[in-house]
Amino acid sequence: MKLLIVEDEIELAQDIVNYFSSESYNCTLALNYQEAQEKISLYQYDCIILDLMLPNGKDGLSLLEYLNENKQGLIIISAKNSLEDKIKGLTLGADDYLAKPFHMAELAARVFSIIRRKQFGHENIINFNEVKVDLLAKNVAVNNIEVVLTKKEYSLLLLFLGNKNRVISKNALAEHLSGDISDMFDNQDFVYAHIKNLKKKLTDANYNNYLKTIYGTGYKWQE
Amino acid sequence: MAGITKLLNKPLKAFLIYALLILTASVPIYYYVVDYIWQQELDEHNLIIKREINNNLLRFKAEDIEHNLGVLNMMQPSIKLEIVSNKDFQRDSVFNLINENEGQKERFRVLKSVLFVNDKFYKLTVQTNVEEADETLMALTLVSSLFFTFLLVGFILLNKRITAKVWLPFYQTLAQLKDFELADQKSIILKNTDVVEFNELNSELEKLIDKNINSFKQQKFFLENASHELQTPLAIIKSKIDIQLQSSNLDASQLQFINQINTCLSRASRINKNFLLLSKIENQQFKTLEEVNVFDLIEENLELLNDYIEDKNLKVIKNIYDHKLLNCNLTLLETLFNNLLINAIKHSQNGDTIKISLSNRSIVIENTGLAKLNHENIFNRYLTSADHTYNSGLGLAITKEICKQYHWTIEYSFQNKFHVFTIAF
Repeated sequence: MKLLIVEDEIELAQDIVNYFSSESYNCTLALNYQEAQEKISLYQYDCIILDLMLPNGKDGLSLLEYLNENKQGLIIISAKNSLEDKIKGLTLGADDYLAKPFHMAELAARVFSIIRRKQFGHENIINFNEVKVDLLAKNVAVNNIEVVLTKKEYSLLLLFLGNKNRVISKNALAEHLSGDISDMFDNQDFVYAHIKNLKKKLTDANYNNYLKTIYGTGYKWQE
Repeated sequence: MAGITKLLNKPLKAFLIYALLILTASVPIYYYVVDYIWQQELDEHNLIIKREINNNLLRFKAEDIEHNLGVLNMMQPSIKLEIVSNKDFQRDSVFNLINENEGQKERFRVLKSVLFVNDKFYKLTVQTNVEEADETLMALTLVSSLFFTFLLVGFILLNKRITAKVWLPFYQTLAQLKDFELADQKSIILKNTDVVEFNELNSELEKLIDKNINSFKQQKFFLENASHELQTPLAIIKSKIDIQLQSSNLDASQLQFINQINTCLSRASRINKNFLLLSKIENQQFKTLEEVNVFDLIEENLELLNDYIEDKNLKVIKNIYDHKLLNCNLTLLETLFNNLLINAIKHSQNGDTIKISLSNRSIVIENTGLAKLNHENIFNRYLTSADHTYNSGLGLAITKEICKQYHWTIEYSFQNKFHVFTIAF
């Protein structure tokens, strides 16, 4: 999978590259408008991660006109968390919008989901050994036996599958479930209850115990 | 309000006290002056009588006078004529005499004189009634009081007229200042007047207000920029922690450490988000209005917060009297309810109750509490409550700011062991 990361903040850009590179992603970095424009016109990417505010007052949105119609996914990351910007980005062709600051796990899960949507439009099924997730029907099966999950458990499972072999912190899980609201609380213990239920349902269906607890910090979906 | 009077009542009081003093002091002075003139006049009068009697005596014989003296004295009680020997000759004397007659004191001006007519000495006493001292005094006091009353009424009426006319520009300025709202960032233009001092006051006020608006704008601009600038470092810290978390050789204490950083980081980003939101609200960036069903919105908010409500086993009681529709910005209303509900959840203990009552005119959100909060400062922006887990202190400031936008009132009270937040539409 080829990713283009358009982000002028080098520290953040490298962290994104760092996080994605260990998986099957091949990341390219563009630190300004010109670089991004060049790379977009020369190469084909599976997904572009685009920061809206680029140096010299360049608006990342104007890069959209160089894109090849609808072939690649596009996710906007922006420090401006306003509804207007979000709507504007999405109407101009972005697939998703993520406000800064965000957790890497959240970005990874969204990129994962965008790429799948683009590439497996009609039959979008994730197979992870005995675990099978039908993204269109929103069904989960283990060893071909359906496991009925709540909306939140399902959403957590997708987050884990988009971040295989990565530790996801409790805060990232809470933010994934509650969005902006999670920042307003210091206590995110409710996450444990959902994870516990998810784990129990999958264990009951005899999955291979991929979901590991990382002491006091978070969880990891480990192969 | 004791001790505080209107500006124009201050000189009025002083004027009245001065007038009272002068009028009071004038009473004895008038009295002495009148009495003095009165006595002078009577002395002159008595002397004239003496001269006339002297002239008249010359026209009669001494025997006739002596014979008729008794009749004369009876006919004119104020005059007494006696025949005296030459040894009794005295110079004229003038004095006051008080006669007590049937319990009534009468004051007389007396002239005693010895006349020498046709080789005989006559002693003449002329007594003329003088007005009593207390009667004069009484009359003067009455007149003075009357004048004082005129002054009093006159001063009050004049004061009213002056207040209404001369001070009109002042009161206009005052009214404009009362309406002034710094957050609106609209400078005010004060009316020109024909009074130099008021014009100076107005122009100085205008300058002061413009300066204030300017520094308010700068402060807002600074806050907005600072929050924007902070977003990027916060994002980097967040990503660094996520990356760090992936290293395989972390021990329990290091993981705990990362956990603590995460908690603080989310607090920092919460404060920053709230600052951004607050400046957006103040900049009136939420302009799009729509008709919002308050009940539906509350239900949606509760759904979003359900995890946190269940985590604390909170009981939510809804009293819906009306499915109120409000014409406002959806994001703002959402933020408003969210902040109040989050506040209620955060400050609840396990198993507490949250009550939501919605009527046509108000929404009331209550949660179980132990003691009343310091309620004068509760909506203040930069206040941190004694309880340090208390959000960023901005949640309620934001609710107040939103209410202000729509001219709703928000109030806090503590009733029956419940913290009660009431918003009246």
